[in-house]
Amino acid sequence: MLVKRGIAVSPGVAIGAAWIFGAERLRVRHYTTKSAIDTDIARFRAALDAVCVEIEGNQKIANQQLGEQYGAIFGAHLLMARSPQLTDEIERLIREKINTPEYACKQVLERYAEVFRNLGNQYHAERAHDINDLQSRLLRYLLGKQRQELGDLSKPVIVLARNLTPSETASLKREFVLGFATEEGGPTSHTAILAGALELPAVVGIGDFLSEIENGDKVIIDGNRGEVIINPVESVLAEYLESQQKFRTNYAALEIERTAEPITADGERIQMLGNIEFPGETEHCLERGADGIGLYRTEFLYLGATKEPSEEDHYNAYCEVIHSLGDREVVIRTLDLGADKVPSVGVHHPASANPALGLRSIRLSLQYLEGFKIQLRAILRAAKHAQSGRVKIMFPMISSLYEFRQAKMVVRDVMDDLDEAGVPFQREVPVGMMVEVPSAAILAEEFAAEVDFFSIGTNDLIQYTLAVDRGDPAVSSHYRTGDPAILRLISMVVKAAENHKIPVTVCGQMSSDPKFLPLLIGLGIRRISVTPHAIPELKAVLRQLNIPQCKDIATHAEWLGLSRVIDNYLQGELRKICPQLGR
Amino acid sequence: MGGQPVLHTVTLGSDGGGLHLVPCSRLVKLANGFACNVSIRKGSVHADGKNILDLMILAAGPGEQLELVTSGDGAEEAMAKLVQLFESNFAE
Repeated sequence: MLVKRGIAVSPGVAIGAAWIFGAERLRVRHYTTKSAIDTDIARFRAALDAVCVEIEGNQKIANQQLGEQYGAIFGAHLLMARSPQLTDEIERLIREKINTPEYACKQVLERYAEVFRNLGNQYHAERAHDINDLQSRLLRYLLGKQRQELGDLSKPVIVLARNLTPSETASLKREFVLGFATEEGGPTSHTAILAGALELPAVVGIGDFLSEIENGDKVIIDGNRGEVIINPVESVLAEYLESQQKFRTNYAALEIERTAEPITADGERIQMLGNIEFPGETEHCLERGADGIGLYRTEFLYLGATKEPSEEDHYNAYCEVIHSLGDREVVIRTLDLGADKVPSVGVHHPASANPALGLRSIRLSLQYLEGFKIQLRAILRAAKHAQSGRVKIMFPMISSLYEFRQAKMVVRDVMDDLDEAGVPFQREVPVGMMVEVPSAAILAEEFAAEVDFFSIGTNDLIQYTLAVDRGDPAVSSHYRTGDPAILRLISMVVKAAENHKIPVTVCGQMSSDPKFLPLLIGLGIRRISVTPHAIPELKAVLRQLNIPQCKDIATHAEWLGLSRVIDNYLQGELRKICPQLGR
Repeated sequence: MGGQPVLHTVTLGSDGGGLHLVPCSRLVKLANGFACNVSIRKGSVHADGKNILDLMILAAGPGEQLELVTSGDGAEEAMAKLVQLFESNFAE
């Protein structure tokens, strides 16, 4: 039995057989045998041919759908793949060094990629990606059946991987994936957020562990404690089977909260909204009695797509959400991605060395107005199907007043265009902003005079305020939600919102954690937006609270002044309020 | 080998993108149509005109001067076409 500890990102317990994803990256053999050289060379040539056929296919598609200037790029890729020099070098390694074709391809192509990276200009450095792409195509064919795709799963397993990209996570089939664990990743990475959305038990940021496990090993994922147990002994397994049962019962008990109103013991009604990534999750929110959608992250329309979503793609997704919601509200956040993740734009903007501070979110939208306008048109058109004011537009990562005014002007432009074209749309659409950059919190008074609402995105606000990359395991312990600087910024935003009589919501993982609920209410927050599965638990806590007690908790927490002390204090208070939750 | 090598100096258009991926591939396609050797020199660096990776590694930018050398069968004709390609700024 082996116990590995990571970060718990999605609760629950999963027990099942291990299925290691993407292991070929770790397990390329270096050497073959002399007698296998000829077969290996034949294998390499067959893989190369298959890759060339694949590239030709892509070229054809690109020619037809995008135009010949794009097809020409694949034409060049084909020439690279067919470059005699490349073939010679790879075959020489197989013949002379008795390398496996997999390793030979890796060696040669990685060397080229390195040369390109070091040519000293951006354009050529980017071409290293083309070489890498060629490498991964070749490896995929060489490794053939050894590689399994996530989409190929046919029986329920526990997925273990070095890392899962958001699009891979999104493609996980819920019927076959019991839970997952990754070596990399932090508590607020997109993968973690998606795990919550899919309601799969998950642990991330475990560090190296895949080498210690084989496909088919029995694995327990403990998404409550953040543990992965490999080949558990009988007694531990029995314990977990029991606690899995208990978790289900407990969950069923919380389901009773579904119809209960989110109201404090002394009668203060709190708006409890859900965060979603996919339209289908609207149902998850409503099942748990959400007041609406407080954060609809639209970037999942972009992730995993090879081309940008069309206006109809946007429109259909928004309509689906609006129809499921009836007369409840939805806050649609415009694109919140880095330039490198947007297909047509990424070509011109390679991943920046410092993506969190680079061209992303609203900055990207304002620079590439075409895509921004497509999204806004779709929102305004879809909002026509809702009562006025129920669909709201929110801009992410606003860092200056100028930026907000610019973005709002684009909304007006789009309305004018729709008017002119005679397209029906909703005029009464409140426009607000995320407060997730410290400058926005510091200037909250000024912003409050111009925006229709605030939503505090705690994940980024903490990251930018404390200068901590939440995904970097080396510093993630510095990422402290209860830091007094964060509490101060939240209370500044709340005061500004009160002064200007605009609503303020807290979204982000802080609001999903029950121990922060009394504090947030004490600071004056009356609207929170959380992952859907947290709603029943938060309602159960909320019903035990009263406003004066919350105010006392907030005042005391601010007075304590040290994040670690604040955390412990809040945990203790929660235990007093709800003994069954005092984990 | 059919006669003397043919030499020609060309300058990359200063308004183009230099010898990028797609221009390189046009050049290779053209060179592959001839039996003769085609080589391109930037300063002291040589590249085989039939090898796209070689050409990419030249990293020839806009406004840079390149020396074209063809030798062997059809060297004259190949050079004429190459010069045309450079002068048209790699239009198809």
